[in-house]
Amino acid sequence: MPSNYPGFKYEANREAVSAAKVKALESLLIEKGIITSNTVDNILGYFETEMGPFNGAKLVARAWVDPDFKARLLADCNAACEELDFPQGMSGAEGEHMRIVENTPEVHNIIVCTLCSCYPWPTLGLPPYWFKDPTFRARVVREPRKVLSEFGVEIDDSVEVRVWDSSAQIRWWVLPMRPEGTDGMGEAELAALLTPEAMMGVATVKV
Amino acid sequence: MFTKFEHFAATSLMGNPTEAPPRKDGHLHFDRDWEKMAFGVAIALSKQGYYEWEDFRQTLMATIKEWETTHDLNDPNWDYYQCWLTALETLLIKSGVIAAGELETQLAQLLHCKSSEL
Repeated sequence: MPSNYPGFKYEANREAVSAAKVKALESLLIEKGIITSNTVDNILGYFETEMGPFNGAKLVARAWVDPDFKARLLADCNAACEELDFPQGMSGAEGEHMRIVENTPEVHNIIVCTLCSCYPWPTLGLPPYWFKDPTFRARVVREPRKVLSEFGVEIDDSVEVRVWDSSAQIRWWVLPMRPEGTDGMGEAELAALLTPEAMMGVATVKV
Repeated sequence: MFTKFEHFAATSLMGNPTEAPPRKDGHLHFDRDWEKMAFGVAIALSKQGYYEWEDFRQTLMATIKEWETTHDLNDPNWDYYQCWLTALETLLIKSGVIAAGELETQLAQLLHCKSSEL
């Protein structure tokens, strides 16, 4: 049956057509026994609950309130991941070793992957577009302060900027400084302040 | 190396900005519910072996390229998941999961049911 179904003009009703078409596709695939009503939820659930920056945020928030945990996180990121109740495969089962570096008043860290786009996805989720951009990759090594300033992060000349280049063996990420005015906050509240950019070193944590 | 198919599939699309799905703060970003369904179905069926993920990726890239050659680059009608859905339909027919015309028939039935309920 052609798509000139009465009442539908493709461009004008594109939204309605697409929504209906996907619904039709879903029911067709269910009828054929190819998928069940849970299939897609299971796929999406992986992205929503297993792989995302909420994992990194939890680790950082715990490190902010628990100095012993912080020491363990800095010493062995993958082992520290295992202490939190994360899903299987989070802590380097895929051969990816993560290392976290701490921002201090003296040192600001930023991550990059100059070779490709290695990224600590278990803690930070999917990388932003620009992470793979060749210009970003080249410039962040050559002129990190300028790049940071374009991200809105002004680094005082007295602060050392360190650039960490990830590889297939080690994926770096950043433990940002806990912002002022968060003394009374609990872990969940602190975790909510964190963004992937802050844990990449291209943003500061704001309250 | 990836042990999770979902992760492999998603990261394989991160190669260039046009082919990568919209993201926000490290998460996939869906504007509409049907986008989630189209995204999930494409991954699920490849995971189940109905087609190779690379075939989906190539079909998606071809669909995007076709849009780009027939539209202005700043055309506000550009829509990533419209291309995704077109690519999915194309590949489902090509790999024999559904027959040509089958989806339209289903769609017509669905719409017919709805309109008769009104």
